[in-house]
Amino acid sequence: MKALMSLGALIGVAGLLLLGGMVLDVVPSTYIRLVEGYMPIQMLLEVACYVIGFTGLSYTLNAMGMAIPRFWQGIGFWVFFLLYLKYRMYPPIPFSVRAMYGTVSLVAVFMWVSASEEDWQKFKQPIMNVLDAQTGGNRILRYLYLVLLPILIGGFSFNAMMPKSEEPIELRTVHPAPPASTKVHGKTYTLQTSQNPYRVNPEGKYDQEFSNANIVEQGMGRLMKPNANPWDDKNQGYLKYVREGGEIFFQNCHFCHGDNLNGRGLHAFAFNPIPANFTDPGTIAQLQETFIFWRVSKGGIGLPNEGFPWASVMPPWEQHLTVDEIWKVVLFEYWHTGYYPRTWD
Amino acid sequence: MGLLAGKRVFSIMALCMMVGLLLLPIVVALPSLAIGEEAPAGDAAKKDGDKVEKGRDVYYKTEGIVVGAPAPKTVDGPRDYPRYNFESRVLLWFANQQHLYYGSFVLAVPIFCMIIEFMGVVTKDKALAKRYDQLAYDFIKISLTAYSLTAILGGILIFTFLTLYPAFFSYLSGIFRPVMHIYALMFVAESGTLYIYYYGWDKMKEGFLKWIHLSMSVILNIIGTLLMFLANSWIGFMMSPAGVDEQGRYLGNIWHVIHTALWNPLNLHRILGNMAFGGGVVAAYAAYKFLASKTDEDRAHYDWMGYIAMALGVAFLIPLPFAGYWLMREVYAYRQQMGITLMGGLLAWLFIIQATMIGILFLSTNYYLWQAMGRMRGAEKYQRYIKYLVFILACGYMVFITPHTMVMTPAELKAMGGQQHPVLGNYGVMSAKNGGINVIITTTVLSFVWYMRGNKVSTVSWAKFGNIFMGIFFGAAYFNIIFLAIYGYYIPANVRVGLSVPQVATTLSCLFFMFALNSVMMKGAKQLGPIEWGKISARSQYALIMLATAFTWMMGLMGYIRSSVRLFWHVNEIMRDNSPWAYTHTVGFAANMISFNVLFFWITILFVFWLGSLGAKKVPVESKAGIPSGVPQPAASH
Repeated sequence: MKALMSLGALIGVAGLLLLGGMVLDVVPSTYIRLVEGYMPIQMLLEVACYVIGFTGLSYTLNAMGMAIPRFWQGIGFWVFFLLYLKYRMYPPIPFSVRAMYGTVSLVAVFMWVSASEEDWQKFKQPIMNVLDAQTGGNRILRYLYLVLLPILIGGFSFNAMMPKSEEPIELRTVHPAPPASTKVHGKTYTLQTSQNPYRVNPEGKYDQEFSNANIVEQGMGRLMKPNANPWDDKNQGYLKYVREGGEIFFQNCHFCHGDNLNGRGLHAFAFNPIPANFTDPGTIAQLQETFIFWRVSKGGIGLPNEGFPWASVMPPWEQHLTVDEIWKVVLFEYWHTGYYPRTWD
Repeated sequence: MGLLAGKRVFSIMALCMMVGLLLLPIVVALPSLAIGEEAPAGDAAKKDGDKVEKGRDVYYKTEGIVVGAPAPKTVDGPRDYPRYNFESRVLLWFANQQHLYYGSFVLAVPIFCMIIEFMGVVTKDKALAKRYDQLAYDFIKISLTAYSLTAILGGILIFTFLTLYPAFFSYLSGIFRPVMHIYALMFVAESGTLYIYYYGWDKMKEGFLKWIHLSMSVILNIIGTLLMFLANSWIGFMMSPAGVDEQGRYLGNIWHVIHTALWNPLNLHRILGNMAFGGGVVAAYAAYKFLASKTDEDRAHYDWMGYIAMALGVAFLIPLPFAGYWLMREVYAYRQQMGITLMGGLLAWLFIIQATMIGILFLSTNYYLWQAMGRMRGAEKYQRYIKYLVFILACGYMVFITPHTMVMTPAELKAMGGQQHPVLGNYGVMSAKNGGINVIITTTVLSFVWYMRGNKVSTVSWAKFGNIFMGIFFGAAYFNIIFLAIYGYYIPANVRVGLSVPQVATTLSCLFFMFALNSVMMKGAKQLGPIEWGKISARSQYALIMLATAFTWMMGLMGYIRSSVRLFWHVNEIMRDNSPWAYTHTVGFAANMISFNVLFFWITILFVFWLGSLGAKKVPVESKAGIPSGVPQPAASH
């Protein structure tokens, strides 16, 4: 047990040093890389490691007679977590999300330090000491708080009220609800029931299972399945249509959406927001193929009212592409990202 | 003896009367149903020389004879939308929400009464049985005043509809005419049953008569539940109409109009929601009384009352997210646009707020249980591990509330390099959120298990094996939930939606198997010390108040979301809302309005509680009869 706790303490100290380095800009945030495809779980595991490390550190210091008071343990962990979110995570997390996480972690710390009466007494003791001000030091601290707290609150108020020159925050609806049907090149498509005519098996029938078996693998590398190379001239049917969709994509779309379909094309950063990242599991992976068909056909200008502020410069591609070409591009996007279009069965 | 026989006869008569009241609406409504269905068709047929017009049901796709008028095409003006110098929609929102709060409360409390009264009847410990009985009586007493208010608010709601939205209400009542009459008669039956149940309490408190009394509570709840189902059919029709053709003309099949695509999911979701809400309100009442108590006896009583109400409320809160999930699934299946508007589009931000509120509910519950361990000797052994539960809960909560599209300044958006964060954006989709909420619920189950065994040591020979098995079971459950949440990213969306089933099954397995195993292990267990009712921190009572407030707020929020998903339709795709208020409110306005509704409800319910306490003062001997003297010992209460 002691050895385990010592190991934990070691992890805790190493973690603190690492984060300290990142805060002071001595160690880059990317020093320990967030591995693509595993980032979300990596973050949770890292925080779990820190918790174990701090438990070990607390235990070891306690055994050495240098116990950290519960008050400082609570405050220390909360500050640590805020710094972790600010300096460890990259790309930077927007303030709104850090504020949400900060509040949750503060509540969690409160729940921890007040879970039992004994812990709660320990936690609030330093606060009570300052309020009681029985010693000279505490008396000075109390006066300091008396002066500093109003200044601090005043500062926050001033900062909140001060007119800002930056653009205001927008609650943008990225996936506005589509219409029940859409008319493209004179034909009406019911979005709930329409199907991509090129998602077919060798018999020429609509077959999502067949196409799903031939898409690239998800995760790093996005490797093609054996014998499923669309650029092999021998391949016909579904893979041939993927190739044709790819050609259309690289002639029209990749300038903005990027050659990796991650929304970082040549012109991407001329726009704000940058174009949609199809490799993100929250974009096309969440949507029906007909939704993409509608969005591509109608572009930013065809967004419904709820899509306000319509921050999309995508052209209405029905003015440039045929219906078949649009379906093939959609087919290619799913093939390349390794995602399956949403179905409702 | 003669007196007892007389009482028996009286009780059986009362029960028969209740059954009669239950059946009355159906019997009375049957002829009117028949007339409602056939007479207009017959008239129409006569007028058109036996030529009947047929229409196609928009949902069931069946053909039927047109017997109703088309949905009115309203225009903005005093005829269709008479108004004050105020937004009519907000007035209606207020009236509706208050009626729903009270309606939920008075439907939930009799169910609690039934459960608690039953516990009292089957408990062998006479002192404990008396306390359960007194508790059930206290509950029904609170609900009686609230019942009058519910009826008054219902009247206000109807007047608001009639005076501010006459065209819409006329259309709706035209279609639901027979249902509305049955509803009104059911309400009469509910009132009659409730009064007999309440005023017959003392007369039927022993033996066979008690069973009769208990049966009355069952009938009372059947009527209440049916009432709610009927009311749900109206909102179900507004969201997912059926039984009418494309013009909104009624096709004569009342069952189609009632049994719409969303009716059953709404019924289940509302019944569970009402129960959890009712539990929360009663727990908050107990917490308030606890904090105001001046004696140890009162503190002990209200501590116990708060615990029972909380436990009942949470028992229904646990399956609530799954019922909500089913409802959303059916919404998606009914109309994709509706589903996307709710969860990915215009109203998605409200769902993030909802997730936050759900998290608060579970966090408050866990916190209360940890505090409650403080009143047991021997529970200290679990308290040192609470920090790990806090960590698991916080992780699950953070994943659960992470928005997919984050609120950010344009500068932050550029720094992030896209609309979705590559790390946290993954928490914003359903797969991760299912994992988050299941982890939270499983942890709540674990907290309950710890609480249940807090002051006990199992004496069964296989105790060690049992503990190891439970540990492994919970470990495997966490692993399975998290693994499925990750696996969800690598499979098609339709399969991913299906993954929620094994996740939920895992959580429910923990709930049922671990509770059952724990109960077996703790049978005849060695008690390390008594549960010292009343010796609990004030923080725990604030947690109960937080639980109730969060639930009230969430109910208001979800009601608003459900209603506003119709966007600019009174009846989805059938009757358009052409009033000036056919737009969706901003998130800020909606939040303020919900907060106002919550505040108003709590102020008025405090008035109801005060009225209840006036009644208690009038009959001090009666009310004191069941309150425990000294520190109570509900041996197997948990």
